[in-house]
Amino acid sequence: MGLLYPGALYFFAIVPALIIAYLARERPRQATVSSVLAFRALRLMRGERFGGRPRFPWTFFVELLILCLAVIAMAGPYAVRKGNPIAVVIDNSAAMQAKTAAGPTRFEDAVAKVIEALETESDGGQVTVYTTAPQPRSLGGAFAETGTAAAAIRRVRPVDAPDDAAALTALLAQLSGNRRIGRIIFASYRTIAAPLPARLTAITTGEPVANYAIGSFALSRETFGAAALRARLNVANFSGATQTLKATITGDGKVVGSAQAATAPGEVAAIDFPNLAPAEEYRAQLLPADAFALDNVAFATGSAVKPVAILFISPVPADGESLKSIPGVALTTRTPAAYSPKDLAESDLAIFEYSLPKEIPPVNALLVMPPPGDPVFDFQVEPAARIELTGWPATDPLTDGVNFRLLNIRSGEYIGQHPWMQAIVSGAAGGLMIAGTRQGHRFVATGFNPFPYLGRQNLPMSILSLNLLSYLAGLGAQTSGYHTGEPWIVPAGVRTIVQPSGRKETVEPGSLFTATEEQGIYTLAGEAGTRTLRAVNLADLGASDLQNVPPIRIESAAGGAPGGEATVRTSLFPYVLAAIIALIMLEAILVYRSPHPALELEP
Amino acid sequence: MLGLPAEFTPEFLARLEQLRLKTRREYAGMGKGSHLSPRRGSSLEFSDFRHYSRGDDFRYIDWGLYGRTDKYYIKLFKEEEDLLTYIFLDASASMGFPQRDRKFEAAVATALAVAYVALAAGDRVMVRVLAGKGEPPAPVFVYGRHRIVELARHLSAIRPGGELDFAPALAREMVSIRRAGKVFVISDFLGLLNSVERALGLFTAANMDVSAVQILGATELDGQGLQGDVEVVDAETGERVRVSVGARERQRYRETLMRLAHEIRFFCSRSGLHYALYTTDREFHDFFVHAAASLGLVH
Repeated sequence: MGLLYPGALYFFAIVPALIIAYLARERPRQATVSSVLAFRALRLMRGERFGGRPRFPWTFFVELLILCLAVIAMAGPYAVRKGNPIAVVIDNSAAMQAKTAAGPTRFEDAVAKVIEALETESDGGQVTVYTTAPQPRSLGGAFAETGTAAAAIRRVRPVDAPDDAAALTALLAQLSGNRRIGRIIFASYRTIAAPLPARLTAITTGEPVANYAIGSFALSRETFGAAALRARLNVANFSGATQTLKATITGDGKVVGSAQAATAPGEVAAIDFPNLAPAEEYRAQLLPADAFALDNVAFATGSAVKPVAILFISPVPADGESLKSIPGVALTTRTPAAYSPKDLAESDLAIFEYSLPKEIPPVNALLVMPPPGDPVFDFQVEPAARIELTGWPATDPLTDGVNFRLLNIRSGEYIGQHPWMQAIVSGAAGGLMIAGTRQGHRFVATGFNPFPYLGRQNLPMSILSLNLLSYLAGLGAQTSGYHTGEPWIVPAGVRTIVQPSGRKETVEPGSLFTATEEQGIYTLAGEAGTRTLRAVNLADLGASDLQNVPPIRIESAAGGAPGGEATVRTSLFPYVLAAIIALIMLEAILVYRSPHPALELEP
Repeated sequence: MLGLPAEFTPEFLARLEQLRLKTRREYAGMGKGSHLSPRRGSSLEFSDFRHYSRGDDFRYIDWGLYGRTDKYYIKLFKEEEDLLTYIFLDASASMGFPQRDRKFEAAVATALAVAYVALAAGDRVMVRVLAGKGEPPAPVFVYGRHRIVELARHLSAIRPGGELDFAPALAREMVSIRRAGKVFVISDFLGLLNSVERALGLFTAANMDVSAVQILGATELDGQGLQGDVEVVDAETGERVRVSVGARERQRYRETLMRLAHEIRFFCSRSGLHYALYTTDREFHDFFVHAAASLGLVH
C-alpha cells in the first residue's frame, strides 16, 4: 500500500470540523411548554451535551467514514505488488513493410514473435504496447493481460512513414531506466548496440536485403509559363551490384514517360523526364521489383494547366504590359491607390513597381525600385545616375544564364544593407538585387526596372527577368515536397481531406493535419467544391536503405534495474470512490426511509 | 350559538338545565332560590320549634305538640335561597400551551357550562379570572340565565398569559369574597403541588364548597409533542430545562404528569373537595355530563 500524494492527508484536519458541526447540529432546539414541572424528571435521564457527554447518531459515523475515505482518495492510494510489467515496443515504420525471405513482411514476422514472447510470460503482469512510427506512442493504457495485449498488437498496422530514430532511442532509454518495468520487448528491423539493457529483449526481424528506391519525385516546368512539365526522379541502388533501374511515369493513368539509368551500388542517380504531358496525378514506378515495394512508387501532382497569376501594382501600369508576352501568364494591373490586399488572394506573384504594400504580402513578391522610407520593408536606397555592376553569383537560380557583362542598366538605385534580405547582384555603391524570405514567402527587390527591356533586344535582361519570375512564381507546379508522417497545416478553405485509402477526414483550416501516414495522393476539398491534390511520399532514402541500418545505442542501458525488483502499482482510487458512493447511497436510503418524528415548536 | 362556544348546542343546554349545583353545606344566599339556607324561612324543610309569641302566624302552630305539652310552639322552616357560585378561571400562560390542545378554550367552556347550570337554577355567579394577558379583568357578577351570553363574550376576550402562583393569588381573591358559597377552580394545576394545596385549603378553611377541575391537554400528556434534544422553556416562569425526548422519556414524562394529577385528586378527596380531570382529547359533552357528580352537580 502507498499513497501518491501523502500531503492530502492533511485534510484529515477537517474531521474535528465535522465533529463540531455535529455538536452544533445536536444543540437542542427551544420549545415553549406549559410547564417544565414534569420535564425536570427527564433531565436526569439526559446525557449532557457540550461540556457533558455528546451523543452521535449512526449517520455521524457513516459521514465520518465517508470523509476519511474522501481524504484517502485524494491522497491517491495504491497497492503495490510484485509483478512483471512488460513494455512491448513494436516497430510499425515503413521499413517494416519489407518482405522477409520467408514470405511474410517484417512486421508480420515481428508481431508473431512478440506474441510468442508474450505467451511465455507466466506472471500475467500488465503489458504496455508502444508503436514507433511516425512517432513513438503507446496504444492506450496498460493491458491487464497478455491476451488482450496480443489482440491489440494484432490490430496494429505498419504505416508508410519512417520512424524517428532519436525519439525511438529516447523511448527505449526511458523504458530501460524505469524500475517498475520487468521486461521490455523490442521488435524492429533495427538492432540495438551492445551492451543490451538487462531487461530488454530485442527481436530483430528481417535480414539486410537489396533494395531499389525512389528518393524524390519532383516536377517542374520546362520553361516559365509553359504547359509541359519536366520530372526528375532520384533513384537509389541499395544492393551489392550495379543495377539498371527503369522508371515509368504515368499521368492520370496513361504512361507519359519512361527512362532508365544504370546505378552503381549505393549510388543515387537522377532520371529526367522532359516534356511530360499535363496531368493531375503522376505516379512513378521503379523496376525491378524488390522486397520493399513502398519506395518503388512515388506520386506527384501537376497543376501545369493553371496559368501563373501575376498582380502588377504600379503608378505606371503600362510597364507591366510586356509581361503579357510571356506564355501562361495571367496579368492583373492595379495602381497603388486601387490596390487592396484582397487582390492577392487570386495571385501567385505580386510585383510592386515604384511602390510598396503597407504590410508584408502573403505571396511571393518582386519589389521593383522600391521607394525609400517605407516602414514595412525599410529599404535604404540611393539613386544613381549610372549603375556599375560589381558582383553576382554564378550558380544562383536568379542569375542563372545571365551575362552580366552585357547587361546594360542605364540608371537605377542602390539598395543598402537590409535586415533579412541579402544582396544577389551588387553594384559599386550597394545592392542592385537583393532577395530574402519572410513569413514563408520569397521577396526580391531590384534597384533597376527590368520590364522596359523585356522581350526587346536586351537578352540578358530578358533572361534575368524570366529568372526572377521563375524564382518567385515557381514553375507553376507542385513538387513532391510532402513526406509521410509529417503533419501539415490545413490550407484555407479546405474542409475535408480524403486520404489515399479513401478515408475522409473533416478538418478545420489552420489546424494541424497529422493523418499523413499513407503514401499517395490526398484530396483537399473546399466548401465551394474546390479540389486540390497533394502528393505525399515516403521519399526517405534512410528508410529505404535496408542493408545499412545503424544500430540503436541506448545510453542509460547500464542503469536498468534487475527484473526481480519490478513491481506493479494498482490504483485503489476507483475502489475508494465506489465505497464512498455506496455509503452515501446507503445513508440516503436509510435516512429517507425512516419516519421523521414531528417536532412541535411552539411560538 | 348566540356567542357561546360551539360546544353549547341546544341539546347540551337542555341537558345542563337538568343539572343543579349541590353543596355539602348550606349557604346563605342573596335572594330567594332553590337551595336550603341556614336562615329560617318558608320552605317545606322543618328546621326547629320555638315558643309562640304574640303576632306569630298561628298557621305554623304545631297543634300536636300543643296536645302533648299544652303549650304553643311555632314550627320553624328553613329558607330556600339562591347559591352564590364562584368560578375561578386560570388564564395563566400555561393554559395556552400546547396550542393545539386548546386548554384555555376547554376551561372557558367548563366555566360557562357550570355558570349556565347555576344561572338556570336562579343562582348568582361570580367569575374571577386569574392572571391573563394585560390588565387583570374585573370580576363578573351575573344573575339570570340570559346573562350567560354576556359572560361568554367576556371570557372569549381573555387570552392566557402571565404567571400564576395559586396560593397568593387565591388568598387575594378570598379577601374580596363576603359570602361563602360554591367554588369552582378551573385550572391545569401545573404548579407546585404545595401551592395548589394551600390555595384550595384556603377555600375549605373559609367554609366554601370547592370543586377543582383540572384541564390537561392530550398533546401535553404525550410529551407536549416534542422529540429529540429540546430545550423546553416554561411558559410562565421562563425556566429552561434541556431534555432528550424519546419514547422512554415520553413515557416517564406522562407518568410524572399523571402522578401530579393523582396527588391533586388525592388531596381533594382527603379534604372533601370535588375533583374532576378533563383531558382535551375527550368529548366535552360526554365529560361534563358524566363528571357531573365529581363536579358537585346533581340531576
